[in-house]
Amino acid sequence: MYEQYPVLVTIAMMSAIVYATRLGGYLVGLKIRHIGWLRPILEAFPGCAFMAILVPAVRQGSPTEIIAILCVIGLMWKTDNVVMATVAGMAVLVLGETTLSGTGLG
Amino acid sequence: MTTYQSLLLGLRSSGAYFLSTFLFGVMFGIAASASGVENWQALLMSASVFSASAQFASLEFWQSPLPLGTIALSVFLVSSRNILLAMSMTHHFDGHSLGRRIIWLFILNDPGVVTSFRMDEWVDRLGYVTGYGIALMASWVLSTALGLSVAGLFDGADLSSLDFAGPLVMATMMMLFAKGSKSSPTPWIVSGIAALILFEVGTPNYLILMLSVVIGIAAAIIREKTRHV
Repeated sequence: MYEQYPVLVTIAMMSAIVYATRLGGYLVGLKIRHIGWLRPILEAFPGCAFMAILVPAVRQGSPTEIIAILCVIGLMWKTDNVVMATVAGMAVLVLGETTLSGTGLG
Repeated sequence: MTTYQSLLLGLRSSGAYFLSTFLFGVMFGIAASASGVENWQALLMSASVFSASAQFASLEFWQSPLPLGTIALSVFLVSSRNILLAMSMTHHFDGHSLGRRIIWLFILNDPGVVTSFRMDEWVDRLGYVTGYGIALMASWVLSTALGLSVAGLFDGADLSSLDFAGPLVMATMMMLFAKGSKSSPTPWIVSGIAALILFEVGTPNYLILMLSVVIGIAAAIIREKTRHV
């Protein structure tokens, strides 16, 4: 158990930081929005952020994790079905780690 | 389409990520309980922070006394992609008062932003993303409560194989973005290559994120400039 006051301060601080990232990005976007050619660049931002997070995570992944993410990418490419892709990826993770851990590959 | 109709469309469209958010919420509830966070504190965190990555990051440092600076830095780093998500929405929230936009940014969410790019022009993006956010917020808080209440069943269980669930869900969003975005893929392909090179040369994770995004944006600017020459 933790003292109540520091916990409340921490939660309030986390909430403020997360909101500040959303608000800050939006306000910066408003400042530069008049530059017409920036629009397609702004719309590429989410993809850049996702790739910058995903690529190192996959590079560090175990064989099971790499198979799981390939499975997710393949299913998303073919079906666009988020639930199916996520469930299949999770199943590969859980079953694969159990199976491969005995072989030393997991 | 009115804002209200778009909000309902966002609610209806959120089913797939409602489920994956629910799964993460249960995991967060279990992890929070294991870290000694009281139930009401975990629920307050889910309702006010509304960010899986930030909340999981904070649990890594949840010890007495709470290291405020470390938690603040880690929360900022994992949330920094929100800056880019919010910037990408700048043109799409036109037509609403600044006050409304600022308030509704509270429930800005990755899946809502990514899937909004696939919507027709006549859908009100702010309404859509807000509807999506309301559904995900409900899922996140309810599933946190469920996770807290079943946490006792997982005492001593090894859930480490689910650590990679975050990248899996992010991969689904990346695929939706890649297939639905009307912008050129060059910037994010360059970002991915830059992230890989930076990782291989041993760059710290927070610098990989910042530098590869900057390199991707630079590629986008060069592409736009040369396209208009």
